[in-house]
Amino acid sequence: MRILIVGAGQVGYFLCERLSLEGHEVTLIDHSEEKIERAQDRLNVLGVSGNGASAEVLEQAGIADADIFIAVTDFDEVNILACLLAREYNVPTRVARTKSIEYKDHRAVLSKEKLGIDLLINPEDAVAEEMIRIACSSGAFDVAEFAEGQVQFLGYRIDQDSPLCDLTLMELGELRGIYRFVVVAIQRKDETIIPHGADSIQAGDRIYLFAHQKDLPAIQYMLQTSRQETPKEKRRPRRAFILGGGRIGLQIAQGMEGLQFEVKLIERDEARCQKLAEKLDKTVVLHTEGSDIQTLKDEGIEHADVFIAVTDNDETNILTCLLARQNGVQRTLALVSQPELLGLASDLGIDACIAPRLAAASAILKFVRRGEIISLATIEGSNSEVLEIEIKPGSGILDTPLRELHFPRGAIIGAIVRGQDYEIPTGASSLRAGDRVVIFALPGALSKVERFFE
Amino acid sequence: MNQTLTLRILGALLICLSGTLLLPLPFSFYYGDGAWPAFLGSALICLLIGGLLFHFCKSRKEMSVREGFAIVTFGWSFFALFGALPYLLSGAIPSPVDAVFETMSGFTTTGSTILTHIEGMPKSLLFWRALTHWLGGMGIIVLSLAILPMLGVGGMQLFKAEVPGPTADRLKPRIQDTATLLWGVYLLLTAVETLLLMLGGMTFFDAVCHAFATLATGGFSTRDASVAAYDSVYIDGVITLFMFLAGVNFTLHFQALRGRLREFPRNEEFRCYLGITLFATLLLLLFNWSGGIYQSLGENLRYSLFQVCAILTTTGFGTADYEIWPVLTQYVLVLLMFIGGCAGSTGGGIKVVRILLLFKHAQVQVFRLIHPRAVRLVKLGNRPVDRDVMQAILGFFALFIGIFVTASLLMAACGMDLVSAASAVIACLANIGPALGSVGPTDNYAAVPTLGKGVLIFCMLMGRLELFTVLVLFFPSFWRK
Repeated sequence: MRILIVGAGQVGYFLCERLSLEGHEVTLIDHSEEKIERAQDRLNVLGVSGNGASAEVLEQAGIADADIFIAVTDFDEVNILACLLAREYNVPTRVARTKSIEYKDHRAVLSKEKLGIDLLINPEDAVAEEMIRIACSSGAFDVAEFAEGQVQFLGYRIDQDSPLCDLTLMELGELRGIYRFVVVAIQRKDETIIPHGADSIQAGDRIYLFAHQKDLPAIQYMLQTSRQETPKEKRRPRRAFILGGGRIGLQIAQGMEGLQFEVKLIERDEARCQKLAEKLDKTVVLHTEGSDIQTLKDEGIEHADVFIAVTDNDETNILTCLLARQNGVQRTLALVSQPELLGLASDLGIDACIAPRLAAASAILKFVRRGEIISLATIEGSNSEVLEIEIKPGSGILDTPLRELHFPRGAIIGAIVRGQDYEIPTGASSLRAGDRVVIFALPGALSKVERFFE
Repeated sequence: MNQTLTLRILGALLICLSGTLLLPLPFSFYYGDGAWPAFLGSALICLLIGGLLFHFCKSRKEMSVREGFAIVTFGWSFFALFGALPYLLSGAIPSPVDAVFETMSGFTTTGSTILTHIEGMPKSLLFWRALTHWLGGMGIIVLSLAILPMLGVGGMQLFKAEVPGPTADRLKPRIQDTATLLWGVYLLLTAVETLLLMLGGMTFFDAVCHAFATLATGGFSTRDASVAAYDSVYIDGVITLFMFLAGVNFTLHFQALRGRLREFPRNEEFRCYLGITLFATLLLLLFNWSGGIYQSLGENLRYSLFQVCAILTTTGFGTADYEIWPVLTQYVLVLLMFIGGCAGSTGGGIKVVRILLLFKHAQVQVFRLIHPRAVRLVKLGNRPVDRDVMQAILGFFALFIGIFVTASLLMAACGMDLVSAASAVIACLANIGPALGSVGPTDNYAAVPTLGKGVLIFCMLMGRLELFTVLVLFFPSFWRK
């Protein structure tokens, strides 16, 4: 597909990287020649320098033939104007990033329908949604749903007390009779490997697995280590602490209030606290610093289930998460904007680090690749991807055992969903038309996977 | 303060009063009670004095907040003074203090009476008594929803935004528009109740008078035994319903008439008001049942619900002598006296919304003791309540209690017993009517000493005008230029 991206910032660069790797024809427009040159040097994209909201520049970039138009500059107005222009050139799919425009509100004067934009994405909304999703699933640090939520993709950190520690996958396979799941990847330091039977899980690894929704409680029970909850504790409402009362913090608090969490929101600015207290009903708004551990202890941080740091300072977020962890919070989530810090933070024992731009980018990727590929999650820190593909009738791979097909290297089928049924694939499994398969793929393997199913 | 302008507007109000004094004339002629010269004379006196004030006091200045306070307070006082003329001129109430007490009780929609034999009065005077209620109620609706919010009295600015009509900054167009809309609702409800009461067998005269007294949450009846005289379940039911409705913010009725019935459950004050009514009725049912007052549950419910509505909405009609009920029941009723109706209704008392906010405020205080660093706001509905409003409400509550204590002391000094003194003060301050002891539902205020009557007249006026409106006139700086 021909994809036109306006804005070579973090989101734009990230999208270029992913989409070009997947074999799309990507053209990048930015007013900064320096950025364009850098992108052209490193990525397989065509660069055009100029104003993304100018028809002349867009024509030069070949907007007339574009299939997808993505506007992700730092300016809402430019993005929206560029999308309006793209509509005039009859580009079928138009995506824009906005920061401050209220489009979800029913009272919004300009809806995305009126603007002719298919997807309006706000990085802060995307990150808030992601945070809530992760906070709600106990134990896991990265969660995505496939096949309308039937198949769950989970990431777990393995520590020394874990019952899985030092088990080979073969040995794990024997457990599979009881616990139905597939380990599709092991992340060890900076390397992501697709494990085979003889590979073993080691302390410090992060494992990624697929499981059916109804098997989740059993799997979580198995993966629980020293943090075993007594039944009494389980009955009390879950407690969440949120640091930072910005737009993201407010959205997370609102979302978690709705999910019956007991939320405490910490904000340093008093005037902002007043505003937050106006908008929130049950949440306790605390006017203090995140490092004021005495107050946090008085408010019962020891018994918190989750601590979410979403101030606009990465360092604060990481450090307060460590502080919270030291004080007994089970899980900590941090907002980390600088991509360089993403990998570092997860080594420090923080359960998940989420970057607003990456969250926005994966939402855009997910949207752009709608159709055959139904939903897609991007794995934190690495470029691996999970995707869902529907098997078309008449495909050459039907009714043949998987071991006889040359499934691409660097990818693994995690689950086969057939209607309401769900199968853990083995070498003997075969695919039928209408099946949906969920695939884990390392970067570079993606286009091969797509070709395999065509 | 601009005295000339104030006097001119008071003159205009007197001219209006002279017009309303003519309304009882048809009843006078129809029943042939011979009271018509009293009304005609009173109307002429009002017209003369009003006309003189209006003609000679001319001012081109704009009205300001200070004139607003003076006009409201003196307007109500003038109405009470001049409205007493028919009683005096006809000789039905010979004592001027008694006549003013009766009229003030009427215009403030209190319903305390000094009459010992109501049924012996000329019919046209009874109509005038009911009419003072109804006019007072009209005044109250506009006062509480349009004028007081603008003057910023006792936290009433809360309702500024909820007033329908254009939100112009200037005083006049808004008051006029608001008044017209809300009076329409008031008139409609009065007409419906009159009709329903006539269907229950009341004469037109009785039905109109009772409807006037109900919608204004006044409580003057045309019978010595009040509503009990009819002894009809249907009439009790109709009056109970309309008392309850009169205790609700009239903007809600207005919204309901425009088809927005969902505004009722969405309004937090209404929910609280409904809750108090139901809970108090439940308590009364329980206490009366344990006291063995009523034979059947139906009977118990009929009298308990009626009495709860009569006291909570500060109407003060009677179908039962609650003084023979158990002490616990009476205690609940006294508590209800303090609460009163919703803000923006014709009911008096502290008002449900203030009580609600006081409790919420207390709750926040306790919360902050447990969570010293927490920021929590008092909210009504989903909107935060301004600190200014909260302070005004706290001030109002303190003042209300202060006046209650002082006035009770004065009443006791007049030689009344403790229960009668305290209950008479709250019954007048909250504009209810009957109290306990020597001024209970089967008694009247005739035997109260003259000084005591004066104190009660003042209490009625202050309670009706949300305290501050009256008290502000006692500050010397108010009169300075």
